[in-house]
Amino acid sequence: MKQAGSRLSPRSFAGHALNYVFLGLLSLCTLYPFAYEISASFSSSRAITAGEVFVWPVEFNTEAYKRLFEDGQLIHAMGNTVFVTAVGTLLNMIMNVLAAYPLSRKRLIGRGPLLLFITFTMIFVSGIIPNFILIRSLGLMDSYWALWLPGLISTYNMFVMKSFMEGLPEEIEESASIDGAGNWRILGQIVLPLCKPILAALSLFYAVGWWNSYFNVMLYITSSDLHTLMLKLYQIIKQVDASLLDGGGGEGVSNSRLTPEGIKAASVVIAIAPILCVYPFLQKHFVKGVLIGSVKG
Amino acid sequence: MKVSVRKGLRRDRSLYLMLFPVIVFYALFKYSPLFGEIIAFKNYRFVDGIVGSDWVGLNNFRMLFGSADFWRVLRNTLLLNVYSLAVGFPVPIVLALLLNEVRVEGYKRLVQNLLYVPHFISWVVLGGILIALLSPSTGVVNLVLTHVFGIEPIYFMAKSAWWPVAYTASSIWREAGWGTILYLAAMASIDPQLYEASRIDGAGKLRQIWHITLPGIRGTIAILLILRMGSMMDVGLEQTLALQNDSVLDVADVISTYVYRVGLQNMNYSYTTALGLFQSLIGLILVVGVNRIIRLFGERGLW
Repeated sequence: MKQAGSRLSPRSFAGHALNYVFLGLLSLCTLYPFAYEISASFSSSRAITAGEVFVWPVEFNTEAYKRLFEDGQLIHAMGNTVFVTAVGTLLNMIMNVLAAYPLSRKRLIGRGPLLLFITFTMIFVSGIIPNFILIRSLGLMDSYWALWLPGLISTYNMFVMKSFMEGLPEEIEESASIDGAGNWRILGQIVLPLCKPILAALSLFYAVGWWNSYFNVMLYITSSDLHTLMLKLYQIIKQVDASLLDGGGGEGVSNSRLTPEGIKAASVVIAIAPILCVYPFLQKHFVKGVLIGSVKG
Repeated sequence: MKVSVRKGLRRDRSLYLMLFPVIVFYALFKYSPLFGEIIAFKNYRFVDGIVGSDWVGLNNFRMLFGSADFWRVLRNTLLLNVYSLAVGFPVPIVLALLLNEVRVEGYKRLVQNLLYVPHFISWVVLGGILIALLSPSTGVVNLVLTHVFGIEPIYFMAKSAWWPVAYTASSIWREAGWGTILYLAAMASIDPQLYEASRIDGAGKLRQIWHITLPGIRGTIAILLILRMGSMMDVGLEQTLALQNDSVLDVADVISTYVYRVGLQNMNYSYTTALGLFQSLIGLILVVGVNRIIRLFGERGLW
């Protein structure tokens, strides 16, 4: 490879350099909006509305964060999100293993019909109204079960786990079952420890999904005490966007009923901070998850 | 044979026990709402229940096809999808081609990881950031347009002509980087000897891309295209709701947001279920159709 590099003609060297610079600029453009929000959250409302904030905070202050923490609503909503995410992900993983492990055993009698039963639901998907009616008939309105139960298994993810389990060497399990270990013990002591990479990847996908979603919360959770971070943020953004859209600047923004720009920026930063903080450490699991999923497909 | 079936069932009792909650889940949360779709042919009222409500035949569909709203949301749904397909689908392929040329592994990985970030951010957040950046009075984009290029501020989010542009750009921002993963994996599995041989034959970079790399990822492109076509009738609800506002509903109101607003908020359950059913049906026809076309071209389809 080294030699190949040194043999580059001037023209292709320029091409390579251009490519590197372009990709670098593209990454910066992708991330700039986040940097802007962070800066805005530490700037004065005056500086933001005057359009003075570009890269660095202007008139640095932490007023917005202080107000958010004093008010407490957003932090409370974040607690709700953590709870919904943690319990939801745990339930997801339990159900996915319970589905994927038996279905990965080729000797299982009735495996074909069972797989068909499940695959059918990937092709024929019901709309939101019948789902809404179901949740209401089950009496789940205004309870987190309305979020968790319908989302227990993402069939695609479950099939990813199943094909991972099918790829494990069979000999280890065979010898264990000769030793008289039951299916539960084989699952717990042999299969699951070997499944760590896929367990990590899938629980991350589920967790990010729970963290980010807001529509179902809006649909099913009526008491504002139970609202999650993303729904609160949705309400904050919908409240201010009227003032941003009319473009007048003066009248709309000074209206005290509207959430000031800085507060909005700080709310956005609070909502993405956890993801941005863990992302660098976990990103390799995400990519691995996608690749494991695609091998079969 | 009979004995071994019984033996097999008994041996794997515990496996069936594990599957029990799974089957209950699919029956209750996947199949029973499918049964609920029959309210599209009924006049559903909550007090009467799904079974007890009166049958109305195809009335809901007649009403649907006769309403101007239906044609508007259908057109918007299709247009937004055509934009993101035409503009958005090739972007990850081009990006992957560029990334594939990067020989410095560390730099490549860094760029990849940075481009993936928006994929993990909620649409609420991305929508909020976009609204702030594109604001005509305080947004950075318009400040640059005004001060650097001397253009009048553009009302990206509030003008019907510009909103689809902002929408499409937001999709690319979130998904283009993430979309490169499968293409890059497919490119990595291309035999390096092919490149070696073509270089000896004097092929330049572009010819290599055209004759080796693109054919090498053709299967991946085909599969992703089928999957994309299957969702032509679908526009991400969370994305659209986060970006939408009342002044652009003539272009931003899509099937899913319409079902939410008219169906759930105004409680027209049967009418919007009919719309949802129509949407699924067309989606199904599209997947099957495109899958067939791709198989005609000799690629492996989804089935």
